[in-house]
Amino acid sequence: MTKKEKKSFNQSLAEWKLFIYNPTTGEFLGRTAKSWGLTVFPKPLTALEYSFTVSDPRSYQGYIEDLRKFLKPYDLEEQKNLTACPDGALFEQKGPVYGACQFPVALLQACSGVDDPEFGYSIGNPCVLVKMNRIIGLKPQGEPRIECISKSENTAALSTYPPNGLIDLKYFPYYGKKLHVSYLQPLVAVQVSFNATSSTVNEVTVECKIDGSPNLKNQDDRDKFLGRVVFKVTARA
Amino acid sequence: MGRGGKKGTVTPHEQNPSPRPKRESNTGKRRKMKRKKKKTDLEELKKEVVLEDHKLTLEELSAKYSVDLTMGLSPRRAQEILRQDGPNTLTPPPTTSKWFKFCKHLFSGFSILLWVGAILCFVAYGIQFHQKEEPTKDNLYLGIVLAVVVIITGCFSYYQEAKSSKIMESFRNMVPQQALVIRGGEKIQINVENVVVGDLVEVKGGDRIPADLRLISSQGCKVDNSSLTGESEPQTRSPEFTHENPLETHNICFFSTNCVEGTAQGIVIATGDSTVMGRIASLTSGLAVGKTPIAVEIEHFIHLITAVAIFFGVSFFGLSLILGYGWLESVIFLIGIIVANVPEGLLATVTVCLTLTAKRMAQKNCLVKNLEAVETLGSTSTICSDKTGTLTQNRMTVAHIWFDKTIYKADTSEEQTADLSGKTFAKGSATWFILARIAGLCNRADFKAHQETLPIAKRATTGDASESALLKFIEQTYSSVKEMREKNPKVAEIPFNSTNKYQMSIHLQDDSNQTHVLMMKGAPERILEFCSSYLLKGVEYPMDDEMRKDFQKAYMELGGLGERVLGFCFLNLPSTFSKGFKFNTDEINFPMDNLCFVGLVSMIDPPRAAVPDAVSKCRSAGIKVIMVTGDHPITAKAIAKGVGIISEGNETAEDMAAQLQVPISQINTREAKACVVHGSDLKDMTAEQLDEILKNHTEIVFARTSPQQKLIIVEGCQRLGAIVAVTGDGVNDSPALKKADIGIAMGITGSDVSKQAANMILLDDNFASIVTGVEEGRLIFDNLKKSIAYTLTSNIPEITPFLLFIIANIPLPLGTITILCIDLGTDMVPAISLAYESAESDIMKRAPRNPRSDNLVNHRLIGMAYGQIGMIQALAGFFTYFVILAENGFKPIDLLGIRLNWEDRFFNDLEDSYGQQWTYEQRKVLEFTCHTAFFVSIVIAQWADLIICKTRHNSVFHQGMKNKILIFGIMEETFLAAFLSYTPGMDTALRMYPLKLSWWFCATPYSILIFIYDEVRKLIIRRHPGGWLERETYY
Repeated sequence: MTKKEKKSFNQSLAEWKLFIYNPTTGEFLGRTAKSWGLTVFPKPLTALEYSFTVSDPRSYQGYIEDLRKFLKPYDLEEQKNLTACPDGALFEQKGPVYGACQFPVALLQACSGVDDPEFGYSIGNPCVLVKMNRIIGLKPQGEPRIECISKSENTAALSTYPPNGLIDLKYFPYYGKKLHVSYLQPLVAVQVSFNATSSTVNEVTVECKIDGSPNLKNQDDRDKFLGRVVFKVTARA
Repeated sequence: MGRGGKKGTVTPHEQNPSPRPKRESNTGKRRKMKRKKKKTDLEELKKEVVLEDHKLTLEELSAKYSVDLTMGLSPRRAQEILRQDGPNTLTPPPTTSKWFKFCKHLFSGFSILLWVGAILCFVAYGIQFHQKEEPTKDNLYLGIVLAVVVIITGCFSYYQEAKSSKIMESFRNMVPQQALVIRGGEKIQINVENVVVGDLVEVKGGDRIPADLRLISSQGCKVDNSSLTGESEPQTRSPEFTHENPLETHNICFFSTNCVEGTAQGIVIATGDSTVMGRIASLTSGLAVGKTPIAVEIEHFIHLITAVAIFFGVSFFGLSLILGYGWLESVIFLIGIIVANVPEGLLATVTVCLTLTAKRMAQKNCLVKNLEAVETLGSTSTICSDKTGTLTQNRMTVAHIWFDKTIYKADTSEEQTADLSGKTFAKGSATWFILARIAGLCNRADFKAHQETLPIAKRATTGDASESALLKFIEQTYSSVKEMREKNPKVAEIPFNSTNKYQMSIHLQDDSNQTHVLMMKGAPERILEFCSSYLLKGVEYPMDDEMRKDFQKAYMELGGLGERVLGFCFLNLPSTFSKGFKFNTDEINFPMDNLCFVGLVSMIDPPRAAVPDAVSKCRSAGIKVIMVTGDHPITAKAIAKGVGIISEGNETAEDMAAQLQVPISQINTREAKACVVHGSDLKDMTAEQLDEILKNHTEIVFARTSPQQKLIIVEGCQRLGAIVAVTGDGVNDSPALKKADIGIAMGITGSDVSKQAANMILLDDNFASIVTGVEEGRLIFDNLKKSIAYTLTSNIPEITPFLLFIIANIPLPLGTITILCIDLGTDMVPAISLAYESAESDIMKRAPRNPRSDNLVNHRLIGMAYGQIGMIQALAGFFTYFVILAENGFKPIDLLGIRLNWEDRFFNDLEDSYGQQWTYEQRKVLEFTCHTAFFVSIVIAQWADLIICKTRHNSVFHQGMKNKILIFGIMEETFLAAFLSYTPGMDTALRMYPLKLSWWFCATPYSILIFIYDEVRKLIIRRHPGGWLERETYY
C-alpha cells in the first residue's frame, strides 16, 4: 500500500468514525440516546397503581412512610452543607471538589410533608413525587419542566409543585456518585384533587412528561419511562 | 425354475448366516415372522441357479410345456398362460414414493437432533406461557427457526438427490422390445412383455433374448452373455446339452442377453422374475443395505453431542436448584442449555459440503446418486472390481503375433493412434505377408457401413470378437481388407465350429486367376496337426521337432498371458483345381493335409491404459483391490498381472509349486501373497475358509464366479470389517453392487439394473475415476472434521453466557437471536469454505481410515473445540461484554446478582456503579448492545478459529492461504456482522445495535491468542509425534 492510499484510507476511516459516533453531539448514527427516565415515588406494590381508602389510614400508611423516608435527605437540616446555587443556569463545575445544590423541600409546597405530614392522603388528595433519573453529564437545554395531565376527563384537578413543574437547570449536570457526593435530584410533586369528593370511588390516570427542553425525549416508542411516566390513582372514600 | 430351487444341494456356505440376526429378536413377533419369510426367500435367491430343462430331450421338453415344437402354442393357450403368469417383465424394485423419500430427508440422522431441539423449545415456551403472562418469545422463535432449518435443508438435499436420479432416468432405455414368436404355426411380432412360458421363439443376430430359452434348433447362433456372466466373448448356442451347469450349457439362452449372430429357435422356459436375470434382480432389490459410513459417523457425533448437552443441562439443572431457582425455571434452564448445544447450522453445512464434493466428483466422472455416498469411497478399504469393461477395454484386440520363430508385440492401447506397428514387428517378412492375408481373408467379420470417418479401432463390426480383432488389426497394420477380399474372392468355406476347432476358406489367388489357395485358422494344436511344413522368412521348410518345440513354447507363453491364441496355415492348391472347380465342403473333394504353418496370433481384451496406475495408487492408499470376474482364471490372472492387481514378483501358490516343481499340497499357501480362486472352489468353501483367504492374501483374483458368489465375497469382506466398494456393469454384478458399502456402476456399458443398484456411476467407465473418487472422499472427510471443529467451537461462547446468567445472575450477555445470527449467519460460509481446503499431505499415501477408531468427531475434537478454543472465544466475548457495561457505568462487580432487578420491567431507576439511574428499556438497549458486541467478538475470534482449522497437523504458514473461498468467508462474516450491527432498523427488527469502533477491537487480542495457541500446539504435535499432546488433542 502506498503512502497516498494510506492517507485516504485514514481519511475515510475518520469519516466513517464520525458517522458511527459523533462525540460533539453524542450521536450514534444520528440517534440521540440520552434522556431522563421518569419514575414516581412512592413505589406502589402493584405496577404504578396507587390505591387507598381515605377513611382507613392503614391503607396509605406505607405510602406516607416511603415518602417521609425518601424526603429525609431533602430536610433543611440535611442540606445545610449544600451550595445555594444561582437559579436558572447550569451549575457546571471543574472539580476536584464538586458541590451539590440545595433542593429545599419547601419547593414542594403542599406535598413537602411539612404542613401536611399525611401528604394529602388523609383528605383524598394524594401527592406523588416525580423524579428524574440521574444521568452523568446530561445538560438539558431550554426550560425543562414536568407537565402532568389527567387522562381521564374532568375527574380530578392536578397541581404540580414547584409551580408549572419547573426543573431548575442548576441541578445539572450530574457528576456521578463518587464525585458528586450528597447530590440531590430535583423533584416535582403532583397532587391529585378529585372533583367529586362525594363519590365512593375516584379514579384517575395521570401522565407526566418532560417538556420545554429540545434535547430531552419524551416520545420513545419502546421506552415508556423515557421522559414520561403514567400512573393511576384510586381513592376510596 | 424358481420351484426347482428346492431340489438344489445345500452346501454349508449357501446357508449364509443372516448378517444381523440379533437385532431381529427385538422386533415384534409379527414383524419377525414376516421378516423371516422374506429372509428365507432371499436365502433361496442366493443359491445357485438350478435348472433341469437343459438336460431334457426335445420330446420331454415338448411334453413338459405341452407345446408343439414346430407350431408353437396356440394363441388362446398363450393368452391363458399370460393371464396366469403375468407379463414377461421384471418387477421394478419397489420405488419409494417421493413423499417417503422427502420424509427420509426430513427425519434422518442429523435432522432428528434438530427436531428434538425444536420440540424442547416449544415445550419450554409452553411452560413459560402458562407460567407468566408475557413470556419472552425466544424459545418459540428458536423452535420455529430450528424447524425451518431442518425443512429447508431437507428440501435442499432432496432436490440434490432428485437431480441425480433424473440423470439416472435419462439412462433408461424406453424403447419397447419386440419378440418373434411362433403361435399356432404363424410367426408373429409381439411385445416382449407378452411372451409366455412355452412359447416358441425365434431369435436372430442383434436381438435381445426375450426370455429364458431352451434351444431346439440353431444356425451359427452366438450370444453375448456378458451382462449375466461377465464373460466378454460371445458363446456358441446350439440345441446340444453340453454342461451340467445351466449357465455353461450350450442349449440355454438367457433373458436380456444379446444374440450376436446366427439364428435360433427355442422354447421359453421362464419369463419375467423367474428368469435367471429376474432372480438376480429380485435378489438385488431384496438385499438389506447397511448404513453409509458417514451416516454412522454422524450418528456417533449425535451421541457425543447429546451426551455433552445432557451433561451440561443436568449439571446446571442441579446447580440452579441448589441456587434456589424454582422447579419450572430450572426445567426451562435445562431445556435452554440442551438446545443451546445443538449446532443449528451444522446440518446445512454438512449437506452443502457433501453437495459441493458431489458436484466436483461429477465433473470428474463420478456421479453420486446419494449425498452420503460421497464420503464412502474415501473410507473404502477394499475394492472388488469386475474385470470386463472396468479394468479392460471390453474389446478383443490382437496382442501378440508369432512368426519366423519370434514373438512380436502389437499395440493394445485404447487409442491406437501411435503408428508403432511398423517398428514393433518385421513387416517386411514374407511370412507376415502371408499371415496377414490369411487373417484378413479367412475371416467372416466385416465393418459395418458408413464408418469411414471413425478411427479403425472405434469402428463397429459384425461377427465374433476374435475375428473382429483380426480384421481391425489387419486393416490397421497391413492394408484394406475389403480390397484384399475383392481381389481374392472366397470360393468355399468351412465355418468354425466347436468340434472342428478350425475355420477354412478357399480363395482365388490374385496374381493368377487360375489357382486357388486354401487358408485355415483355428486352435493352434489343431492347426499344427494339419501341417507338414512351416514358413520361415517366406521360405518353406519341412516340419521338424525343433519347430514343434518352438511352437509349443510360443503357444504356452501366449496362453500363459491369458491370451486367446489362433494358429494360421495355408496351402496353395495344385493347378488341377482350376477356376470354376466346385469345392464341396461336405464331402471334401480337395486336399486338406500337408499344409504349411505360418504363425500364431493371440488376442486379449486388453487392460485400459489408466488402470495400472490407478491400481497402484489404490495400493499406496492402502486399498486392497480384488478382482471378481466371471471370466477364466488364466485370463483373469493375466489381466490382474497386467494391471497390477497381482503385482510383479508376487506369485500364487500354483506359480510357486510350478517353479519349485513340487505338488501344490506341499506349498504353504500362506506364503503366497497372491491367489486366484476358482468359482467352483469357492462354492465348496465355508465362510471361515473364505475369511481365511481374504485375510491371508493381499492380492486376490476370483475367477469364474457366479453373481451369488460375488455377493458372498462382498459379505465376506464386510465381515472382516472392511468398507467395500464394488464395481460392475452387468446384471450379475448388481446384488454385489447393492450389498457393497458403495456400489459403482458403469455409465456407458452398465446395465440399467446395475445402475439402479449402485450408489455411484462412473460416467466414463474408467476404473481410474474411482481413484479420484477416493481422493475426494478422503478429502471431504478431513475437511468435514475441520468444518465441524470450526462450527462446534462457537458453541461454547454461545452457551457460557447463559450459564453465567444463571449462576452469577448477571444480565444475559448473548441472546438467542444473536446465537442464531452466528450459527445460521456468520459461521455458515466460513464453515463451508473449509470444504474447499486442499489436503495437508498426500491423502493417497495413507491407509484408509479405520471406521472403528478413526471417527469423524471424537472426544479430542470436542475437547479442542469446546474445552480450549471455545473457552478462549468465550473469554473474548465476556471481555467485550464487561468492557461495554463498564463503559456505560456498570462495573463487573456490581453486575453480580443484579439479574432480578435488571429484568424487572417496573424497576425504572436502577442505579449503576456511578449513581446513574436506568430505565428498564435503557438497560435493555445496553444489554442488546452487549449481545451485538459479544456476537461481533465471536465473529472476530472465529477468524482465527477458521484459520487454525485449515490444518490439523501442519502449520498454517506451510498450508498457505490459497483457499479463496475461505478468505471470502472471513470477509463475508465480517461484513454480515457489520451489516447486522449498523443497518438502521436492526434495533427494532433483531434488537441489534450499532457498536463503537473500539468495541470491535476488544476481541482481537484473543483472536491472536487463539492463533498462537494452536500454532504452538501443532508445532509440539509435529515435534513429538505420538506424544501426549497428540494423543489428547489431535482430532
